[in-house]
Amino acid sequence: MIEKIHALWPEITLFAAACVVMVVGLSRNVQVRRLCVPVCFIALVAAGVLAWFTTPMSAAAMAHLPQYGKTLAAFVGALLLLLLVGTPDREYEDDVARGRAAFEPIRGTRGEFYAFYLFSITGLMLCAGADDLIWLFLALELTSLPTYIMVAISTGRNRSMEAGVKYFFLGALGAATFLFGFALIYGATGSTKYTAIAEALQAQYQAGPLNAIAVAGVVLAVLGIGFKIAAVPMHFYTADVYQGASAPVSAMLAFVPKAAGFFALLGLLSCVGWFRATEPNTSLPEPIHEVLWFMAVLTMTVGNVLAVMQNSVKRILAYSSIAHSGYMLVGLIAGPGLQKDSFTHNGLAAVLFYLLVYGVSNIGAFAVLACLERRGRDGQMEEADDIADLRGLCSRRPLLGWIMVISSLGLLGLPPLLGFWGKMPLFTAGVSSGDYLLVVILGLNSAIAAFYYLRLVGVTLLEAPDAPGRGVPVQPGPFPTRVLAGVASVAGIIMLSFIPLTNQAQRAGIYNRDPIIKRSAEPAQPAVPKPEV
Amino acid sequence: MLLALILIPLITAALVPLASRRHVRWVALLGTLAPVGLVITLLAQYDWTNPPSQTLAMSADWYPDLGVNLRLNIDGLSFALVALTALLGPICVIGSFTAIKERVRTYYGWLLVLQAAMTGVFLARDAILFYVFFEFTLVPMYVLISLFGSTNRKAAATKFFLYTFTGSIIALAGIVYVAWWNATQPGGFGAWTFEFNSLIAASQKMPLETQQWVFLALLCGFAVKVPLFPLHTWLPLAHTEAPTAGSVILAGVLLKLGTYAILVIAIPFAPQAAITFAPLIATLSLIGIVAIGLVCWVQTDVKKLVAYSSVSHLGFCMLGMFAFNHAGLQGSILYMINHGLSTGALFLMIGMMYERYHTRSMHEVGGLAAKMPIWATFMVFFSMSSVGLPGLNGFISEFLCVMGAFTAGDNWSAGRAATAGSLGPTYAVIAGTGMIIAAIYILYLVGKVCFGPLREPAGHGHHGHGHGHDAHGDDHLPADLTAREIGILVPLAVLCVALGFYPKPLMQVVEPTVRDTARLIQDTRAKMPEYDLSPMPRVTPKAASAPEARP
Amino acid sequence: MTALFTATLAQGELPNVMSGVTLYHFLFTSAAMFVIGLIGFLTRRNLIIMFLCTELMFQAAGIALIAFSRFWMNHTGETFVIFVLTVAAAEAAMALALVVLLFRRKETLDSSAWREMKG
Repeated sequence: MIEKIHALWPEITLFAAACVVMVVGLSRNVQVRRLCVPVCFIALVAAGVLAWFTTPMSAAAMAHLPQYGKTLAAFVGALLLLLLVGTPDREYEDDVARGRAAFEPIRGTRGEFYAFYLFSITGLMLCAGADDLIWLFLALELTSLPTYIMVAISTGRNRSMEAGVKYFFLGALGAATFLFGFALIYGATGSTKYTAIAEALQAQYQAGPLNAIAVAGVVLAVLGIGFKIAAVPMHFYTADVYQGASAPVSAMLAFVPKAAGFFALLGLLSCVGWFRATEPNTSLPEPIHEVLWFMAVLTMTVGNVLAVMQNSVKRILAYSSIAHSGYMLVGLIAGPGLQKDSFTHNGLAAVLFYLLVYGVSNIGAFAVLACLERRGRDGQMEEADDIADLRGLCSRRPLLGWIMVISSLGLLGLPPLLGFWGKMPLFTAGVSSGDYLLVVILGLNSAIAAFYYLRLVGVTLLEAPDAPGRGVPVQPGPFPTRVLAGVASVAGIIMLSFIPLTNQAQRAGIYNRDPIIKRSAEPAQPAVPKPEV
Repeated sequence: MLLALILIPLITAALVPLASRRHVRWVALLGTLAPVGLVITLLAQYDWTNPPSQTLAMSADWYPDLGVNLRLNIDGLSFALVALTALLGPICVIGSFTAIKERVRTYYGWLLVLQAAMTGVFLARDAILFYVFFEFTLVPMYVLISLFGSTNRKAAATKFFLYTFTGSIIALAGIVYVAWWNATQPGGFGAWTFEFNSLIAASQKMPLETQQWVFLALLCGFAVKVPLFPLHTWLPLAHTEAPTAGSVILAGVLLKLGTYAILVIAIPFAPQAAITFAPLIATLSLIGIVAIGLVCWVQTDVKKLVAYSSVSHLGFCMLGMFAFNHAGLQGSILYMINHGLSTGALFLMIGMMYERYHTRSMHEVGGLAAKMPIWATFMVFFSMSSVGLPGLNGFISEFLCVMGAFTAGDNWSAGRAATAGSLGPTYAVIAGTGMIIAAIYILYLVGKVCFGPLREPAGHGHHGHGHGHDAHGDDHLPADLTAREIGILVPLAVLCVALGFYPKPLMQVVEPTVRDTARLIQDTRAKMPEYDLSPMPRVTPKAASAPEARP
Repeated sequence: MTALFTATLAQGELPNVMSGVTLYHFLFTSAAMFVIGLIGFLTRRNLIIMFLCTELMFQAAGIALIAFSRFWMNHTGETFVIFVLTVAAAEAAMALALVVLLFRRKETLDSSAWREMKG
């Protein structure tokens, strides 16, 4: 137990900070209330540093995954925090500052908002470090539950509320699905520990085909987790929720639950397949492989095709986020490959690297939306969302315009920008695993993606700004940190294109089948009765 | 040194936004003249006796985990194409002095970026680096077309971008496959590299069917750029809508990226497949030559006509390349350079006409020789060069390509001239028809625009009468060409004449590439019994009786 | 009652009343609950009913866990169920809060009344 505590210092830090923030956010003193963000930021940085020194889980199949996952969560989390600044209580704090209202702790949501954010990041870190289905279930729920509330309170508008409810209900459906899957996996193997599950399934492999209950369990779990990563068929909520939530929260939804879902899938699938000693067959069991394959193809295609038809930038980014999940699924299908420390063969390392790529690039695009706003018909500020709002942004606001252009091209994967280096390992891993059809589909989908990303670039960079007087023009909002987040994202896109950080992802993606194979070579525990189902 | 060729335009592009509007063109001119100087220095530094020169090669890690290196080198072929790119750079800048008046910084900035990316393509010796530059030419071209083009520019730019992007992603899959193949070969297990020579060496061992898939994938990316017949539909649109300098670069260099890539990547990576597909590609080229030639004939838009003629011309280039013999390859490479010079010049001419009359329709302008004698002289000159008048540059390359196709027949005679190949006289004859069609439409163009009764669009009736200047102050351009315009046309014209009369230096420069490719194909044939023709007697009556003579 | 429970647990056998009831029965019940919940969720439009359907699905998983726990003779499944119940309670609290908020704004529980976004 004690060694687990050692591995949990980043989470403990964040949890403690969340408690502090919750109290600080209630203070009657504005100065104290404003401490929320700095406290969060410091906690995230501290958690990141602590995560960097996390000891690897030598017993697990992917020993370095927790370290990488937690550091990534803290790093992208800090960027997202810069973007989230100013989201809660905006009008209310305005009123308080102008003396139109007195501050009542019961009405403020600032403390909760940031605390929930930290809880969500904590959940993400726990997902990365999970080694047990119970733990994984709790971690996934801890990641998601706060986000439902964050969506609902992110703006004062009805559509946020609608988005929050929609997200919550479909989230609960997804949670129930993967919970049922977990139950079946437990039923088929008799344990919830990853290593024990892997051993039991390994034994089943050696005896013959997998138990039907185990297969059903894994499929249900994958479908349920598909909700977190917004994969078809659990993608329906994405566009509405991203559009309804405020842009910073959407940016967070595009990364945090997605990363959590992929960490969960990595953990789960690492105890289902890949370890089979019968080389060169390292792929997943047949039915699970097929489910993932169709999921990947549909997710890529549906996401990209629907994104082409949208006019709302947030919806475009939402559908593109679905498509990016599809790309990452390709890495999971490719599996760890046979070369233990080769980045190019390893689909898992490719997924982990892509998470970093997507996390960094995605923030830029949402930051631009978060920085632009106009006074709506009801007098409240509303964010830019229509693609026409971006018209001529490069000449009106060069900084924001170029952030949009570079992050769009980065997400598109135009070489030499970061997105290309994210897709390359997926290509190489896919080709290494021999699934050429999937690689070609991935390529064609990247081409479809060019339609809408090019549209974003074209509108921003090439079109002339609207003549004054047509509609209410969008203005930059008063959030320097959001611009900073955008600038940081672009800097990340450019820097990472030339300074490869792939070796971290590579190390985290190393899939070590030794622990499982060694132990399963020993005789199975005699005390456990064989399932007769 | 090689890096400087790429970096100087890039750095200048970064400086362009800082320059004032009035000086920006001079900054851009400096940025494009510097590579010309560098190319001249390279001429001295390059080790001509022992190509490809290794002293200039450079390599540095980029994404080591993926096996991607910054690997640059230059050989004869790249040298010729880099020189062409460098030459067209300042010409485009000078040619745009009066044509571009708004958003000059954006314009010259992207022009310089384009220049850098194109140079990079020719210098890259790492397949991914090549791909990066290849793709990166899209962005500047997209911006140039969609900001500075004419009415339908957005659609044209988008079509251009999507066509090429889609194709080249498939090509990327092909490249990655070859790299994987290389990594799985004995001795290279696990180590990925995208270095050209290793990949070429490894890919020779690929089975035929795999090679065919790889070749098709690569062709998807590169044939779009050439453009090969059914994939050409983006080109006329992009050309017509692009600004003059854009068209010049598009015709002069960008199309050559496609042929260069096929010659340097697609054929060596999958030589067996290239041999089996040669008749197919030659047929497509012929369809392009003849059918698009006929399409040219019915055009009334001068620029569109020249744009379509590019498709037809590049057909010759591809035909010569897939003849796989010395003459064909030689002609194909010469064609790349010559087409860049003469078609580039034609686009400049049309740009100059457009600046004066704001129309490109043959119905509206005609008989300009009376009004603009210098312009008409150059127009006739470059048309003749483009159509392949003996003595000018077009002739020698077109002749070599057709001759290559003619002699590359296995179904003809056992004559000495016949080298191993799958094409033959039929192909050459059809290509010859194409040459006649080309002569017809170009003469038709010249006849309509330069000669005959003078026709000018309404509002230009008194253009230049008496004082030689436009009375409306329309661009303050004189009726005929200015010294600046003549200044950019003269070097092109000189080169056209020089390469027409004495192409030998250029042929020597590209000789190693030609020799290597021809030998590669020959060696590959030796491994493919049904295509191997050299050691066996030809299929002739005499040859058929030969086996019987054996005991 | 408690004594009976601990006694039976200690014995590792099901109480007598359950004799003849096998793992299949539990699994069937649980699968049926799960499917009923799923169908209910997809067809009903009342927010409260929809939420109850997801609860039904959670509890279906709970039943399966308990049954498996008994089958494998370890307590992992039971431990899991306790956590599931806790999370389900948290979700219930959240669901009710959200539903009440929505009801205050539109005075209806019909989910189709909330169609501000489409595309």
